[in-house]
Amino acid sequence: MKYSYDSLVYHGEPVAKSFERVARYGYDAIEPVGEPANYNVAEVRTLSARHKIKISSLCSIYFGPERDLVAAEPENRAKAKKYVRDLVDFAAAVDCPMVIIRPAPFGKTSPTSDETSEWSWAIEGIRESADYGATKGVKFCIEAWNRYETYFVNTLDQALKLCAAVDRPNVGVMGDTFHMAIEEKDMAAAFRRAGKRLFHVHFADSNRAAPGAGHTDFEPLIRALKDIGYTGYISFELLPAAADVFGTLQRGGGKEFFDDYTKLAIETCKAVEARIGA
Amino acid sequence: MTAMRFGASTFIWVSPFSNATLDLIDKVADFGFDLIEICVEDPATIDTAAISGRLRKAGIGATVCGAFGPDRDLSADDPATRENGLRYLARCVDIAADLGSPIVAGPMYSATGKTRLLSAPEREAQWRLSIDSMKRASDHASKKGVKLAVEPLNRFETDLLNTVAQAMDWLGRLGRDNVGLLLDTFHMNIEERNIPDAIRLGGDKVFHFHGCSNDRGTPGKDHIPWREIAAALRFIRYAGATVIEAFTPEIREIARAVSIWRPLAESQDALARDGLKFLKATLGN
Repeated sequence: MKYSYDSLVYHGEPVAKSFERVARYGYDAIEPVGEPANYNVAEVRTLSARHKIKISSLCSIYFGPERDLVAAEPENRAKAKKYVRDLVDFAAAVDCPMVIIRPAPFGKTSPTSDETSEWSWAIEGIRESADYGATKGVKFCIEAWNRYETYFVNTLDQALKLCAAVDRPNVGVMGDTFHMAIEEKDMAAAFRRAGKRLFHVHFADSNRAAPGAGHTDFEPLIRALKDIGYTGYISFELLPAAADVFGTLQRGGGKEFFDDYTKLAIETCKAVEARIGA
Repeated sequence: MTAMRFGASTFIWVSPFSNATLDLIDKVADFGFDLIEICVEDPATIDTAAISGRLRKAGIGATVCGAFGPDRDLSADDPATRENGLRYLARCVDIAADLGSPIVAGPMYSATGKTRLLSAPEREAQWRLSIDSMKRASDHASKKGVKLAVEPLNRFETDLLNTVAQAMDWLGRLGRDNVGLLLDTFHMNIEERNIPDAIRLGGDKVFHFHGCSNDRGTPGKDHIPWREIAAALRFIRYAGATVIEAFTPEIREIARAVSIWRPLAESQDALARDGLKFLKATLGN
């Protein structure tokens, strides 16, 4: 398996430090935050080459009405599509093959239009993004979030349904085991149903801490990934236990998510791999 | 040790519970539950005489669960809001006494959905307010012979008590024998590092138990470690009931309040019936 660490939780630190850390703990890649303005492309490329750390994926930030692909206002839908195009440009510039895509932003927990319109806007927004991504060799994965963060696509099956409707070869789905531990009856089975359409995964333990710090059993999950021939990265998206995770980080909370959890996450999963003789 | 008793929450089917939905009592009894958990959203809709009559006829018992919105916040800065919360909780206690429920359960220490980032002194002030309020609630409950079971909720629903460890600290500071815990496996799945360990930590303070799947669908169709939970409940000599709490997606207000956006079982009846069968086989002793 190839491992990446989502730098979302390295909130506020210089990018060079993040690259150095994931390299030190044996990662293959890093997942930068989907805010192109926060990065210098040349610096990212230099750090990537120096530390032999690839850019696995972009952790897009769908937050607020202007990043809502299913917003009621056409101008906001247009802004959201523009945001995704900017992500594609940034991804292509740093040799990143995968961008996370989400209809309806974080914290929007009720629809602002009728269901049929929102569903068709989701298809349209993802399709246009995918077609633009295809010109630059960038793929998309539709992410399911838990019920407290969105009403729109909570399960991998729902993401697969949307993915099928979008019907583009460079669009798949992704599962995040923190969300899945709330929403899926059987997480490994959900991975298996996704099969070849599973383009990306986020691993976190049941409490969103590093694998090994909660009660999720990662063995059946890694086994399922092996069985479906998953070739993507396992990227750890770990976040503090609060409704407002960024506020917590801004206040200096979550120190264990830097060194301690970066180390524990990959160690836990590599130990599982060794155990199942992968 | 007495055999485990099982209950079903009225939230599985209705909201709010009232005389218009008394038939639920017969349904729950027919399904084989030992008790119904009456959720008191509006005390004015709860007719204890009518409910008691139906309970007697159906041959089942009741437990009482409270719903704590922003106007019933026992930890509110505003004294009038705390008073309103205390008045509501006292009504729930009276209802419990009338219905023969040994407990009133729920996240009564704060308002559900209140998730704020607080500094340590602000957090301490909120704890103190909730503890002071709960002392008064405990006094009233004790006069009525009712126990209070406070429920830790997951991070998305409260900022005050998310884990059993936090709740045990809070209970320690409260220092009242008639106040303990309601543990709900849906919330524990998100917050506890190890669910059976958390149950053992709760020990004799575990007054009430909600056996729920990780998605609030049918208990058993999930990845909750039920076998280990059964062992932990035996270890603490748990003598209370296990109640299935789920919410109907068909009533928009309640579905929105608990963030349920899709059906989680083939039907609410199937959820209760299959869930009971599973829990009896797993936790029954």
